[in-house]
Amino acid sequence: MSETKTHSIDISAMKRSQQALNIEDEKICLSVDDLHLYYGEKEALKGVNMIIPEKKVTAFIGPSGCGKSTLLRCFNRMNDLVDACRITGDINLHDTNIYQKGTDVAELRRRVGMVFQKPNPFPKSIYENVAYGLRIQGINKKRVLDETVEWALRSAALWDEVKDRLHESALGMSGGQQQRLVIARTVAVKPEVLLLDEPASALDPISTLKIEELIHELKNDFTIVIVTHNMQQAARVSDYTAFMYMGDLIEFGDTNTLFTNPEKKQTEDYITGRYG
Amino acid sequence: MKELTTDHISQQFNLELETLRQHFLTMGGVVENQVSDSVQALLDSDGSLAEDVKDKDATVNQLDGLIDEECTRILARRQPAASDLRLIMSISKAVGELERMGDEAKKIASLTIALIEEGESPRGYVEINRIGQMVSSMVHDSLDAYARLDLDAAIKVAKRDRNVDMEYKTAIRSLVTYMMEDPRSITRVLNVIWVLRSLERIGDYARHICQHLVYMIKGVDVRHIPISEIDSEVK
Repeated sequence: MSETKTHSIDISAMKRSQQALNIEDEKICLSVDDLHLYYGEKEALKGVNMIIPEKKVTAFIGPSGCGKSTLLRCFNRMNDLVDACRITGDINLHDTNIYQKGTDVAELRRRVGMVFQKPNPFPKSIYENVAYGLRIQGINKKRVLDETVEWALRSAALWDEVKDRLHESALGMSGGQQQRLVIARTVAVKPEVLLLDEPASALDPISTLKIEELIHELKNDFTIVIVTHNMQQAARVSDYTAFMYMGDLIEFGDTNTLFTNPEKKQTEDYITGRYG
Repeated sequence: MKELTTDHISQQFNLELETLRQHFLTMGGVVENQVSDSVQALLDSDGSLAEDVKDKDATVNQLDGLIDEECTRILARRQPAASDLRLIMSISKAVGELERMGDEAKKIASLTIALIEEGESPRGYVEINRIGQMVSSMVHDSLDAYARLDLDAAIKVAKRDRNVDMEYKTAIRSLVTYMMEDPRSITRVLNVIWVLRSLERIGDYARHICQHLVYMIKGVDVRHIPISEIDSEVK
């Protein structure tokens, strides 16, 4: 009699790997506590409470003017540059309140880097673009710069494309390459958080996919927060999604649940394309 | 189901979902007739009605392919989310259940033709009549629940499958006793048992359709939990 082979398949492990993430299990990177933001008289954020989990991708979605970019800019105090902008409430990066007096804003922005919608490389060589942040920090040793530039370009999945023309102008690159260069420049100073404000909306679909793949790679080392108008993009790249509307955080949860069975009717209407 | 296919900003998307819904309900109507006609043909020994049931299988298969294609196209082109996504997933699965129901009805029709050829002997027809009616009304009510997105009705219909299973077991027991008493009847009674078996399967498929509907409305998968726990799971 032949022995029957038993295939032991661990279904519960298969399930675990796909199961809804649980925000309570996450380490907290940023926490937002009753954040109100006013542009003059207008209240742009109406008391937001949330946490941004560490080394995960969190996406903000919502219609134009809902406050998602405004909230993103609060994380590295970019709103300080806007006149008549007033903020109440707290944001903690790990355990430090970033809005307390005496905060070194330049240092904050090193720890919390930002990439914008339109690629904005400096009119310098590819190498100098990436080395820029290090030079500002006073690092001028060639060996250190070389190593960091290569590491940053590799992290941004750009090294193979540009290694033979590091000293050519960055302005000669394609839009998608420029955007990845900007990401390389941001990660070169080893931030903890990457803020991405519509990082792919000016790019073609293939470049967009490259950026999305890059986001997936980068979350091993960085906490990523992304604002996007492209709902499918949020669904593809993020672990957690926050839906905002008119300055309120309507729903925040793991992306799988939010896109299959959201709790709130407003979220449902927005992601199924029912909003006017 | 109506409100699910309106209110999108894209009128074209509304239209696509509405067309899908119409096609699904049309297919449901055809299968519902197939099921009740197959039982009727057997009870009336009506060979031409049985042939009619078999012929409808081609229509059901065509609708199955058409709806499948529509679901795939909407997924590819619209990337639906939330309730839209659940609507597509649930219809795509329910269509498979309808198609299998149609196959069972076709089996009953073929058995009917065989039984007619063997001549009269209405043993087991009382049971077929009773279970047939139970199952036909389950099919009707499950489609009705789909058309009206009625969660309570879906759960009620799903629960009725237990009664069918009980009736089926009782019928089998009495037919086995009968075969032991009169072995010459075995061939014929086996055909009757197969009809009962098909009806019992159709009841299962109607229950599955209701379970897909619960998923569509509530986003909860109730396929593999005991029917008695559905209420607590959903609420």
